[in-house]
Amino acid sequence: MGRELLFDSATWLVWLAPLLGVLAAGLTKRRDPVVEGDKVLRHDKAAILEHWAHGIGTAVLLVSGIALGVWFLPSLAGSGEPVRGWMDVHFYAVIVFLFGTFYYGANTLLAMKRFKEHLPTKDAIDYTKRHYGLLLGFKKFTFPPERKYFESEKMAYILALGATSVIILTGLLKVAAHAIDVPAGLMGIVTPLHDIATVAMLLFFVAHVFFAAILPASWPVLKSMFTGYVSLEHAKKEHAGWLEELGYKGDKKSDEPAA
Amino acid sequence: MADIDKKDTGAKGGVSRREFITGVGGVGVGAVLGGALLKGILLPEDVLAIPASEGYLLVDTKKCAGCQTCMLTCSLVHYGRENTTLSRIQITQNPFANFPEDIVQAQCRQCPYPSCVDACPTGAMHADPATGVRMVDESKCIGCERCVNACPFTPSRVQWNAEDKHAQKCDLCKETPYWNTDGGADGKQACVELCPMKAISFTRSIPTQTDAGYDVNLRNEHYGHLGLPTD
Repeated sequence: MGRELLFDSATWLVWLAPLLGVLAAGLTKRRDPVVEGDKVLRHDKAAILEHWAHGIGTAVLLVSGIALGVWFLPSLAGSGEPVRGWMDVHFYAVIVFLFGTFYYGANTLLAMKRFKEHLPTKDAIDYTKRHYGLLLGFKKFTFPPERKYFESEKMAYILALGATSVIILTGLLKVAAHAIDVPAGLMGIVTPLHDIATVAMLLFFVAHVFFAAILPASWPVLKSMFTGYVSLEHAKKEHAGWLEELGYKGDKKSDEPAA
Repeated sequence: MADIDKKDTGAKGGVSRREFITGVGGVGVGAVLGGALLKGILLPEDVLAIPASEGYLLVDTKKCAGCQTCMLTCSLVHYGRENTTLSRIQITQNPFANFPEDIVQAQCRQCPYPSCVDACPTGAMHADPATGVRMVDESKCIGCERCVNACPFTPSRVQWNAEDKHAQKCDLCKETPYWNTDGGADGKQACVELCPMKAISFTRSIPTQTDAGYDVNLRNEHYGHLGLPTD
């Protein structure tokens, strides 16, 4: 008989990871963005942790999930060992992903303004088209002073939020099926929903990596996802509206947090 | 330092949002760890109790002509198309072997201890509650193929259906959408009905778990009249 899947032998870790995320959020002391000399704190350590835990978890989930799908091709579906291997990789990614996502979710519940600053405004669709057009070089447009997040990023956030919610809900049901008898009819809906949400997440992920990591214009913010800071010059140029919210008034620097 | 947490800690006479979230997380982590500890230390190992099947296929390899009618029939009644790779009963032939080792009928034995059911992580492979027949719930199958590998026999009595992408195995014709006849342990089996050599039979008694236990003599005096061995 083959070895046991981690989804069977260590199912409890799948339930522990999100709860650890919630507990960690409750114990985390967070910092607001603030201007510090010639740099601006954009992401505190908690934001960096939740971003990379969610992001790395998502990347590995996508790779292993798609690999699991590819292995179902008739010519590749010989032995069960590759499938078991990829399912175990999927398991580890699930743990990281759930911790990061629930850490973010609980942190957001503790400071709803972090959620609200991600929500699109009425200009979102128009600005999104112009923003990506500008980045790709076929549109010209002068944006009004931007806040912390561009409208295009807010639109992408909604897609990621929706895809993440569906993936977690359906994924947890798929894990539950390893322990309890989930009705077959429900599983018949859950599995394709999980796949559809994966495609949505893949679209978001590819676009996010391209626009937030590959395009040179995004490198200052990418750097801030490691250091926490962007330069004051960059913030003045790209996020004047955000600086204004932080209480920055020209050369007169302020250490006051946003309201 | 700008600290957004200050407003979360000063609840007026009640539980603050931060206290609530920390409490939910703490209690949840404690419950999961406690449950895992309890299950791992205090409870005995899981016991697998599966009812015996109420029906079994018997074969007579000395009678089988290797015509594959049973395979085509099996595929036809389950999937509406004749395809030997979709058959749940497998006939293998070795042209270099001597009679009676030249033809092998590989039918599911509906094992008293079904390794395939034990190996399935989702409950897709299960014993039918009414008849005990070991079956696949295709909508629950995730394609891990643990059941295929878990079967102790070669070739595996559980096959990977590469067209519809799920495990499949003999259900004694309990679910045959393309055969308007009651099947299963209480009904008929298409391979038994269609075999032109009558080399497959059905029994409700549990055979012994050996090759001899399932390979029986189904030859009668009419077979002898043809000058063929009946012993």
